Amino acid sequence: MKKVLSIVLIFIIFIIIFLLQANFFNWFTIAGVKPNLFIILALFIGLFAGQRIGTIYGVVLGIFLDVILGKSIGASTVMLGLIGFLGGYLDKNFSKDSRLTVMLMVAGATAVYEIGSYIFNVAQFSINIEILNFSKILAIEVAFNVILTIIAYPLMQRAGYVLEDIFKGQKVLTRYF
Amino acid sequence: MVNMHKSKKRGVIGVIITAIVLIIIVVVSNIKSNDLSSLEGVLGYFIIPIQNGLTYLKNGIAGNDSFFTDINKLKNENIDLKKRNSELEEELRELEIVKAENSTLKEYVNLKDKYTEYTTVPGYVINKDITNYSDIIIINIGENDGIKVNMPVISEKGLVGHIISVTETTAKVQTIVDTSSSISCTITSTRDNLIAKGTLEEESTLRATYIPTDATVLQGDTVETSGLGGIYPKGILIGTITEVTNTQNKPDRYAKIETAVDFTKLETVLVITQ
Repeated sequence: MKKVLSIVLIFIIFIIIFLLQANFFNWFTIAGVKPNLFIILALFIGLFAGQRIGTIYGVVLGIFLDVILGKSIGASTVMLGLIGFLGGYLDKNFSKDSRLTVMLMVAGATAVYEIGSYIFNVAQFSINIEILNFSKILAIEVAFNVILTIIAYPLMQRAGYVLEDIFKGQKVLTRYF
Repeated sequence: MVNMHKSKKRGVIGVIITAIVLIIIVVVSNIKSNDLSSLEGVLGYFIIPIQNGLTYLKNGIAGNDSFFTDINKLKNENIDLKKRNSELEEELRELEIVKAENSTLKEYVNLKDKYTEYTTVPGYVINKDITNYSDIIIINIGENDGIKVNMPVISEKGLVGHIISVTETTAKVQTIVDTSSSISCTITSTRDNLIAKGTLEEESTLRATYIPTDATVLQGDTVETSGLGGIYPKGILIGTITEVTNTQNKPDRYAKIETAVDFTKLETVLVITQ
Protein backbone atom coordinates (compact mmCIF):
# COMPACT_ATOMS: atom_id res chain seq x y z
CA MET A 1 0.00 0.00 0.00
CA LYS A 2 2.81 2.34 0.98
CA LYS A 3 4.59 1.55 -2.29
CA VAL A 4 1.51 2.38 -4.36
CA LEU A 5 1.08 5.62 -2.43
CA SER A 6 4.69 6.61 -2.96
CA ILE A 7 4.44 5.81 -6.70
CA VAL A 8 1.39 8.08 -6.96
CA LEU A 9 3.19 10.73 -4.93
CA ILE A 10 6.19 10.67 -7.26
CA PHE A 11 3.84 11.21 -10.22
CA ILE A 12 2.25 14.15 -8.43
CA ILE A 13 5.74 15.58 -7.83
CA PHE A 14 6.47 15.04 -11.54
CA ILE A 15 3.33 16.99 -12.51
CA ILE A 16 4.27 19.82 -10.10
CA ILE A 17 7.80 19.90 -11.54
CA PHE A 18 6.39 19.91 -15.08
CA LEU A 19 4.13 22.88 -14.28
CA LEU A 20 7.00 24.69 -12.54
CA GLN A 21 9.29 24.06 -15.49
CA ALA A 22 6.69 25.15 -18.08
CA ASN A 23 5.55 28.27 -16.24
CA PHE A 24 7.72 29.58 -13.41
CA PHE A 25 11.09 28.61 -14.89
CA ASN A 26 10.10 30.02 -18.27
CA TRP A 27 10.78 33.48 -16.86
CA PHE A 28 12.84 32.71 -13.73
CA THR A 29 15.98 32.05 -15.72
CA ILE A 30 19.68 32.76 -15.47
CA ALA A 31 20.54 34.71 -18.64
CA GLY A 32 17.60 33.03 -20.38
CA VAL A 33 18.69 29.50 -19.38
CA LYS A 34 16.22 27.27 -17.54
CA PRO A 35 17.15 24.54 -15.05
CA ASN A 36 16.13 20.91 -15.65
CA LEU A 37 14.36 19.60 -12.59
CA PHE A 38 13.51 16.26 -14.21
CA ILE A 39 17.17 15.27 -14.04
CA ILE A 40 17.21 16.00 -10.29
CA LEU A 41 13.99 13.99 -9.84
CA ALA A 42 15.24 10.94 -11.78
CA LEU A 43 18.59 11.02 -9.95
CA PHE A 44 16.82 11.38 -6.60
CA ILE A 45 14.60 8.34 -7.29
CA GLY A 46 17.61 6.28 -8.37
CA LEU A 47 19.60 7.35 -5.30
CA PHE A 48 16.92 6.59 -2.74
CA ALA A 49 14.61 3.99 -4.28
CA GLY A 50 17.28 1.91 -5.99
CA GLN A 51 18.67 1.26 -9.44
CA ARG A 52 15.72 -0.76 -10.79
CA ILE A 53 13.00 1.66 -9.65
CA GLY A 54 15.16 4.62 -10.70
CA THR A 55 15.62 3.26 -14.22
CA ILE A 56 11.92 2.37 -14.62
CA TYR A 57 10.84 5.79 -13.38
CA GLY A 58 13.38 7.54 -15.56
CA VAL A 59 12.11 5.72 -18.65
CA VAL A 60 8.43 6.34 -17.81
CA LEU A 61 8.98 10.04 -17.05
CA GLY A 62 11.11 10.33 -20.20
CA ILE A 63 8.33 8.83 -22.36
CA PHE A 64 5.91 11.33 -20.82
CA LEU A 65 8.19 14.23 -21.69
CA ASP A 66 8.87 12.94 -25.20
CA VAL A 67 5.16 12.46 -25.87
CA ILE A 68 4.13 15.83 -24.46
CA LEU A 69 6.86 18.08 -25.83
CA GLY A 70 9.42 16.07 -27.73
CA LYS A 71 10.03 16.05 -31.46
CA SER A 72 10.20 12.26 -31.30
CA ILE A 73 10.24 9.53 -28.66
CA GLY A 74 13.75 8.58 -27.68
CA ALA A 75 16.11 11.14 -26.25
CA SER A 76 14.42 11.93 -22.91
CA THR A 77 13.32 8.31 -22.48
CA VAL A 78 16.79 6.87 -22.84
CA MET A 79 18.61 9.65 -21.03
CA LEU A 80 16.27 9.91 -18.00
CA GLY A 81 16.35 6.11 -17.74
CA LEU A 82 20.13 6.33 -17.74
CA ILE A 83 20.08 9.01 -15.01
CA GLY A 84 17.81 6.81 -12.85
CA PHE A 85 20.23 3.91 -13.38
CA LEU A 86 23.18 6.19 -12.61
CA GLY A 87 21.46 7.28 -9.37
CA GLY A 88 21.33 3.67 -8.18
CA TYR A 89 24.97 3.14 -9.15
CA LEU A 90 26.09 6.29 -7.33
CA ASP A 91 24.18 5.25 -4.21
CA LYS A 92 26.21 2.04 -4.07
CA ASN A 93 29.52 3.89 -4.29
CA PHE A 94 29.02 7.26 -2.58
CA SER A 95 27.32 8.65 0.49
CA LYS A 96 24.27 10.74 -0.19
CA ASP A 97 24.41 12.30 3.27
CA SER A 98 26.92 14.85 2.13
CA ARG A 99 25.43 17.90 0.46
CA LEU A 100 28.58 18.41 -1.58
CA THR A 101 28.49 14.84 -2.94
CA VAL A 102 24.84 15.24 -3.97
CA MET A 103 25.67 18.60 -5.61
CA LEU A 104 28.47 16.95 -7.61
CA MET A 105 26.14 14.10 -8.54
CA VAL A 106 23.54 16.57 -9.83
CA ALA A 107 26.18 18.49 -11.79
CA GLY A 108 27.48 15.28 -13.38
CA ALA A 109 23.99 13.94 -14.11
CA THR A 110 22.94 17.23 -15.74
CA ALA A 111 26.02 17.21 -17.96
CA VAL A 112 25.53 13.53 -18.92
CA TYR A 113 21.82 14.04 -19.67
CA GLU A 114 22.22 17.18 -21.77
CA ILE A 115 25.27 15.99 -23.71
CA GLY A 116 23.52 12.69 -24.43
CA SER A 117 20.29 14.42 -25.49
CA TYR A 118 22.25 16.80 -27.71
CA ILE A 119 24.06 13.93 -29.43
CA PHE A 120 20.67 12.26 -29.98
CA ASN A 121 19.34 15.48 -31.51
CA VAL A 122 22.35 15.93 -33.77
CA ALA A 123 22.11 12.34 -34.98
CA GLN A 124 18.34 12.34 -35.40
CA PHE A 125 17.69 15.75 -36.93
CA SER A 126 21.12 16.50 -38.40
CA ILE A 127 21.25 19.89 -36.72
CA ASN A 128 24.31 22.14 -36.82
CA ILE A 129 26.73 21.42 -33.99
CA GLU A 130 27.24 24.57 -31.93
CA ILE A 131 29.80 23.53 -29.33
CA LEU A 132 30.42 27.01 -27.90
CA ASN A 133 26.76 27.98 -27.49
CA PHE A 134 25.91 24.52 -26.19
CA SER A 135 28.71 24.62 -23.59
CA LYS A 136 27.63 28.08 -22.46
CA ILE A 137 24.03 26.97 -21.91
CA LEU A 138 25.12 23.70 -20.30
CA ALA A 139 27.44 25.46 -17.82
CA ILE A 140 24.65 27.79 -16.69
CA GLU A 141 22.15 24.93 -16.51
CA VAL A 142 24.53 22.82 -14.39
CA ALA A 143 25.08 25.77 -12.01
CA PHE A 144 21.33 26.43 -11.83
CA ASN A 145 20.55 22.77 -11.02
CA VAL A 146 23.27 22.72 -8.36
CA ILE A 147 21.93 25.90 -6.71
CA LEU A 148 18.41 24.45 -6.69
CA THR A 149 19.79 21.24 -5.15
CA ILE A 150 21.39 23.26 -2.33
CA ILE A 151 18.02 24.86 -1.63
CA ALA A 152 15.96 21.67 -1.90
CA TYR A 153 18.50 19.34 -0.27
CA PRO A 154 16.97 19.22 3.26
CA LEU A 155 13.55 18.40 1.80
CA MET A 156 15.03 15.94 -0.70
CA GLN A 157 16.96 14.14 2.02
CA ARG A 158 13.97 13.81 4.33
CA ALA A 159 11.62 12.64 1.57
CA GLY A 160 14.36 10.41 0.19
CA TYR A 161 14.83 8.45 3.41
CA VAL A 162 11.07 7.85 3.63
CA LEU A 163 11.22 6.56 0.04
CA GLU A 164 14.26 4.42 0.83
CA ASP A 165 12.48 2.94 3.80
CA ILE A 166 9.49 1.98 1.64
CA PHE A 167 11.40 0.51 -1.30
CA LYS A 168 14.45 -0.96 0.37
CA GLY A 169 13.21 -1.60 3.92
CA GLN A 170 15.19 -0.77 7.06
CA LYS A 171 18.79 -0.80 6.01
CA VAL A 172 21.73 -1.38 8.29
CA LEU A 173 24.75 0.40 6.94
CA THR A 174 27.01 -2.66 7.08
CA ARG A 175 29.38 -1.01 4.70
CA TYR A 176 30.41 1.45 7.40
CA PHE A 177 30.72 -1.00 10.29
CA MET B 1 22.66 18.54 21.33
CA VAL B 2 23.60 22.21 21.21
CA ASN B 3 25.96 21.51 18.33
CA MET B 4 23.22 19.66 16.42
CA HIS B 5 20.83 22.57 16.90
CA LYS B 6 23.53 24.98 15.77
CA SER B 7 24.33 23.00 12.61
CA LYS B 8 20.60 22.71 11.76
CA LYS B 9 20.24 26.48 12.17
CA ARG B 10 23.32 27.01 10.05
CA GLY B 11 21.83 24.74 7.37
CA VAL B 12 18.61 26.77 7.24
CA ILE B 13 20.59 30.02 7.00
CA GLY B 14 22.65 28.47 4.19
CA VAL B 15 19.51 27.54 2.26
CA ILE B 16 18.06 31.05 2.69
CA ILE B 17 21.32 32.70 1.59
CA THR B 18 21.52 30.39 -1.47
CA ALA B 19 17.92 31.24 -2.40
CA ILE B 20 18.67 34.98 -2.13
CA VAL B 21 21.84 34.59 -4.20
CA LEU B 22 19.87 32.68 -6.84
CA ILE B 23 17.23 35.42 -7.05
CA ILE B 24 19.97 38.07 -7.39
CA ILE B 25 21.69 36.05 -10.16
CA VAL B 26 18.39 35.62 -12.03
CA VAL B 27 17.54 39.32 -11.78
CA VAL B 28 21.01 40.56 -12.73
CA SER B 29 21.48 38.08 -15.59
CA ASN B 30 18.21 39.12 -17.20
CA ILE B 31 18.77 42.88 -17.05
CA LYS B 32 19.12 44.42 -20.49
CA SER B 33 21.41 47.39 -20.99
CA ASN B 34 18.35 49.58 -21.78
CA ASP B 35 16.94 48.86 -18.33
CA LEU B 36 20.02 50.36 -16.75
CA SER B 37 19.15 53.93 -17.81
CA SER B 38 17.66 54.76 -14.38
CA LEU B 39 20.79 53.43 -12.63
CA GLU B 40 22.84 55.43 -15.10
CA GLY B 41 20.85 58.53 -14.08
CA VAL B 42 21.47 57.93 -10.38
CA LEU B 43 25.18 57.36 -10.90
CA GLY B 44 25.34 60.39 -13.17
CA TYR B 45 23.81 62.49 -10.40
CA PHE B 46 26.86 61.79 -8.25
CA ILE B 47 29.57 61.61 -10.88
CA ILE B 48 28.71 64.51 -13.23
CA PRO B 49 29.22 67.33 -10.62
CA ILE B 50 32.65 65.87 -9.78
CA GLN B 51 33.49 65.66 -13.47
CA ASN B 52 32.31 69.26 -13.98
CA GLY B 53 34.48 70.39 -11.10
CA LEU B 54 37.49 68.65 -12.51
CA THR B 55 36.91 70.18 -15.96
CA TYR B 56 36.54 73.60 -14.35
CA LEU B 57 39.85 73.08 -12.56
CA LYS B 58 41.53 71.89 -15.73
CA ASN B 59 40.28 74.91 -17.68
CA GLY B 60 41.51 77.23 -14.94
CA ILE B 61 44.97 75.67 -14.93
CA ALA B 62 45.18 75.82 -18.71
CA GLY B 63 44.47 79.56 -18.58
CA ASN B 64 41.14 79.18 -20.33
CA ASP B 65 39.50 82.02 -18.40
CA SER B 66 37.42 83.51 -21.20
CA PHE B 67 34.62 81.39 -19.78
CA PHE B 68 34.37 83.70 -16.77
CA THR B 69 34.25 86.98 -18.69
CA ASP B 70 30.70 86.88 -19.86
CA ILE B 71 29.24 84.22 -17.67
CA ASN B 72 25.91 86.03 -17.36
CA LYS B 73 25.45 86.09 -21.11
CA LEU B 74 26.17 82.41 -21.33
CA LYS B 75 23.78 81.66 -18.48
CA ASN B 76 20.93 83.44 -20.28
CA GLU B 77 21.77 81.71 -23.51
CA ASN B 78 21.75 78.41 -21.68
CA ILE B 79 18.27 79.07 -20.28
CA ASP B 80 16.96 79.93 -23.77
CA LEU B 81 18.53 76.84 -25.29
CA LYS B 82 17.12 74.61 -22.56
CA LYS B 83 13.66 76.02 -23.19
CA ARG B 84 14.01 75.50 -26.95
CA ASN B 85 15.34 72.01 -26.34
CA SER B 86 12.36 70.99 -24.22
CA GLU B 87 10.00 72.36 -26.89
CA LEU B 88 11.78 70.35 -29.56
CA GLU B 89 11.75 67.25 -27.39
CA GLU B 90 8.01 67.54 -26.94
CA GLU B 91 7.52 67.93 -30.70
CA LEU B 92 9.72 64.91 -31.25
CA ARG B 93 7.68 62.84 -28.80
CA GLU B 94 4.47 63.79 -30.62
CA LEU B 95 6.05 62.84 -33.93
CA GLU B 96 7.23 59.52 -32.52
CA ILE B 97 3.68 58.72 -31.38
CA VAL B 98 2.27 59.59 -34.83
CA LYS B 99 5.03 57.54 -36.47
CA ALA B 100 4.33 54.49 -34.27
CA GLU B 101 0.59 54.76 -34.94
CA ASN B 102 1.25 55.07 -38.66
CA SER B 103 3.53 52.02 -38.77
CA THR B 104 1.05 49.90 -36.75
CA LEU B 105 -1.78 50.88 -39.09
CA LYS B 106 0.39 50.24 -42.14
CA GLU B 107 1.43 46.85 -40.79
CA TYR B 108 -2.17 45.94 -40.06
CA VAL B 109 -3.31 46.94 -43.57
CA ASN B 110 -0.41 45.05 -45.15
CA LEU B 111 -1.03 41.92 -43.09
CA LYS B 112 -4.72 42.02 -43.79
CA ASP B 113 -4.03 42.24 -47.51
CA LYS B 114 -1.27 39.68 -47.36
CA TYR B 115 -3.12 36.98 -45.50
CA THR B 116 -6.60 37.31 -47.02
CA GLU B 117 -5.71 34.61 -49.52
CA TYR B 118 -5.26 32.05 -46.74
CA THR B 119 -7.89 30.33 -44.61
CA THR B 120 -6.64 30.46 -41.05
CA VAL B 121 -7.69 29.05 -37.68
CA PRO B 122 -6.71 31.08 -34.60
CA GLY B 123 -5.23 29.40 -31.53
CA TYR B 124 -3.51 30.12 -28.23
CA VAL B 125 -0.13 28.94 -27.05
CA ILE B 126 -0.83 26.73 -24.03
CA ASN B 127 2.62 25.32 -23.38
CA LYS B 128 6.16 26.26 -24.22
CA ASP B 129 9.24 24.09 -24.37
CA ILE B 130 10.79 23.17 -21.05
CA THR B 131 14.33 22.61 -22.28
CA ASN B 132 17.03 25.03 -23.40
CA TYR B 133 17.89 23.22 -26.61
CA SER B 134 14.65 23.06 -28.57
CA ASP B 135 11.71 25.37 -29.25
CA ILE B 136 8.46 23.50 -29.49
CA ILE B 137 5.13 25.04 -28.52
CA ILE B 138 1.72 23.49 -27.92
CA ILE B 139 -1.42 25.25 -29.18
CA ASN B 140 -5.00 24.71 -28.11
CA ILE B 141 -6.40 23.64 -31.50
CA GLY B 142 -6.18 20.19 -33.02
CA GLU B 143 -7.80 17.66 -35.36
CA ASN B 144 -11.27 18.80 -34.30
CA ASP B 145 -10.50 22.23 -35.75
CA GLY B 146 -9.16 20.84 -39.00
CA ILE B 147 -5.48 21.03 -38.08
CA LYS B 148 -3.14 18.60 -39.82
CA VAL B 149 0.57 17.83 -39.73
CA ASN B 150 2.82 20.16 -41.77
CA MET B 151 0.37 23.07 -41.79
CA PRO B 152 2.20 26.40 -41.49
CA VAL B 153 1.69 28.53 -38.40
CA ILE B 154 1.92 32.32 -38.46
CA SER B 155 1.24 35.19 -36.09
CA GLU B 156 0.34 38.81 -36.67
CA LYS B 157 4.04 39.67 -37.03
CA GLY B 158 5.20 36.84 -39.28
CA LEU B 159 6.13 33.17 -39.56
CA VAL B 160 6.03 31.01 -36.41
CA GLY B 161 6.65 27.45 -37.63
CA HIS B 162 4.76 24.33 -38.69
CA ILE B 163 2.66 21.60 -37.11
CA ILE B 164 4.60 18.42 -36.32
CA SER B 165 1.91 16.41 -34.53
CA VAL B 166 -1.74 16.74 -33.61
CA THR B 167 -4.16 15.34 -31.07
CA GLU B 168 -7.90 15.95 -31.12
CA THR B 169 -7.65 19.18 -29.18
CA THR B 170 -4.00 20.25 -29.33
CA ALA B 171 -1.17 20.54 -31.82
CA LYS B 172 2.60 20.56 -31.44
CA VAL B 173 4.36 23.32 -33.40
CA GLN B 174 8.04 23.26 -34.30
CA THR B 175 9.00 26.93 -34.34
CA ILE B 176 11.41 28.36 -36.90
CA VAL B 177 13.93 29.08 -34.11
CA ASP B 178 14.16 25.40 -33.16
CA THR B 179 17.63 24.05 -33.88
CA SER B 180 16.28 21.36 -36.23
CA SER B 181 14.27 23.89 -38.25
CA SER B 182 15.49 24.85 -41.71
CA ILE B 183 13.57 27.17 -44.05
CA SER B 184 14.16 28.22 -47.61
CA CYS B 185 13.76 31.99 -47.77
CA THR B 186 14.19 35.00 -50.02
CA ILE B 187 15.59 38.46 -49.40
CA THR B 188 12.62 40.72 -50.17
CA SER B 189 14.53 43.44 -52.03
CA THR B 190 17.04 41.43 -54.08
CA ARG B 191 15.07 38.14 -54.39
CA ASP B 192 18.20 36.15 -53.51
CA ASN B 193 17.50 32.76 -51.93
CA LEU B 194 19.09 31.51 -48.70
CA ILE B 195 18.52 28.94 -45.98
CA ALA B 196 17.60 30.07 -42.46
CA LYS B 197 18.28 27.68 -39.60
CA GLY B 198 17.43 27.79 -35.91
CA THR B 199 20.33 28.32 -33.53
CA LEU B 200 21.11 27.96 -29.83
CA GLU B 201 22.52 31.47 -29.75
CA GLU B 202 19.49 33.61 -28.97
CA GLU B 203 15.78 33.03 -28.60
CA SER B 204 14.59 35.00 -31.65
CA THR B 205 17.56 34.63 -33.98
CA LEU B 206 18.11 32.57 -37.12
CA ARG B 207 21.33 31.89 -38.97
CA ALA B 208 21.15 32.40 -42.72
CA THR B 209 23.53 30.24 -44.77
CA TYR B 210 23.98 29.14 -48.39
CA ILE B 211 24.03 32.79 -49.45
CA PRO B 212 24.74 33.00 -53.22
CA THR B 213 28.24 34.36 -53.88
CA ASP B 214 26.91 37.13 -56.13
CA ALA B 215 24.17 38.15 -53.69
CA THR B 216 24.28 41.51 -51.94
CA VAL B 217 23.14 41.02 -48.36
CA LEU B 218 22.66 44.17 -46.33
CA GLN B 219 21.85 44.84 -42.72
CA GLY B 220 18.18 45.79 -42.47
CA ASP B 221 17.02 43.68 -45.43
CA THR B 222 13.81 41.81 -44.74
CA VAL B 223 13.54 38.09 -45.37
CA GLU B 224 10.42 36.15 -46.33
CA THR B 225 9.55 32.57 -47.19
CA SER B 226 10.47 31.50 -50.72
CA GLY B 227 7.67 28.96 -51.09
CA LEU B 228 10.15 26.15 -51.78
CA GLY B 229 10.03 23.01 -49.65
CA GLY B 230 6.30 22.43 -49.75
CA ILE B 231 5.42 23.50 -46.20
CA TYR B 232 5.47 27.28 -46.07
CA PRO B 233 3.63 29.41 -48.65
CA LYS B 234 5.55 32.13 -50.44
CA GLY B 235 5.86 35.66 -49.08
CA ILE B 236 5.41 35.25 -45.31
CA LEU B 237 7.67 37.59 -43.37
CA ILE B 238 10.42 35.82 -41.40
CA GLY B 239 12.50 38.69 -40.06
CA THR B 240 15.23 41.25 -40.67
CA ILE B 241 18.94 40.74 -41.29
CA THR B 242 20.81 42.25 -38.36
CA GLU B 243 24.39 41.16 -39.01
CA VAL B 244 26.35 39.86 -41.98
CA THR B 245 29.55 37.92 -41.28
CA ASN B 246 31.93 37.70 -44.22
CA THR B 247 34.42 34.84 -44.23
CA GLN B 248 37.56 34.29 -46.27
CA ASN B 249 35.72 31.70 -48.30
CA LYS B 250 32.75 33.61 -49.75
CA PRO B 251 30.28 30.69 -49.94
CA ASP B 252 30.73 30.20 -46.16
CA ARG B 253 29.54 33.68 -45.21
CA TYR B 254 26.44 33.85 -43.06
CA ALA B 255 23.98 36.35 -41.67
CA LYS B 256 21.94 36.71 -38.53
CA ILE B 257 18.20 37.18 -38.92
CA GLU B 258 16.16 38.62 -36.11
CA THR B 259 12.74 37.04 -36.37
CA ALA B 260 9.72 39.30 -36.83
CA VAL B 261 7.94 37.27 -34.15
CA ASP B 262 9.10 37.71 -30.57
CA PHE B 263 8.98 34.09 -29.41
CA THR B 264 9.31 35.00 -25.75
CA LYS B 265 6.03 36.90 -25.92
CA LEU B 266 4.17 34.72 -28.40
CA GLU B 267 0.61 34.06 -27.24
CA THR B 268 -1.73 33.87 -30.23
CA VAL B 269 -1.12 32.15 -33.55
CA LEU B 270 -2.92 31.45 -36.82
CA VAL B 271 -2.71 28.06 -38.51
CA ILE B 272 -3.01 28.24 -42.29
CA THR B 273 -5.38 25.45 -43.22
CA GLN B 274 -5.67 26.24 -46.95
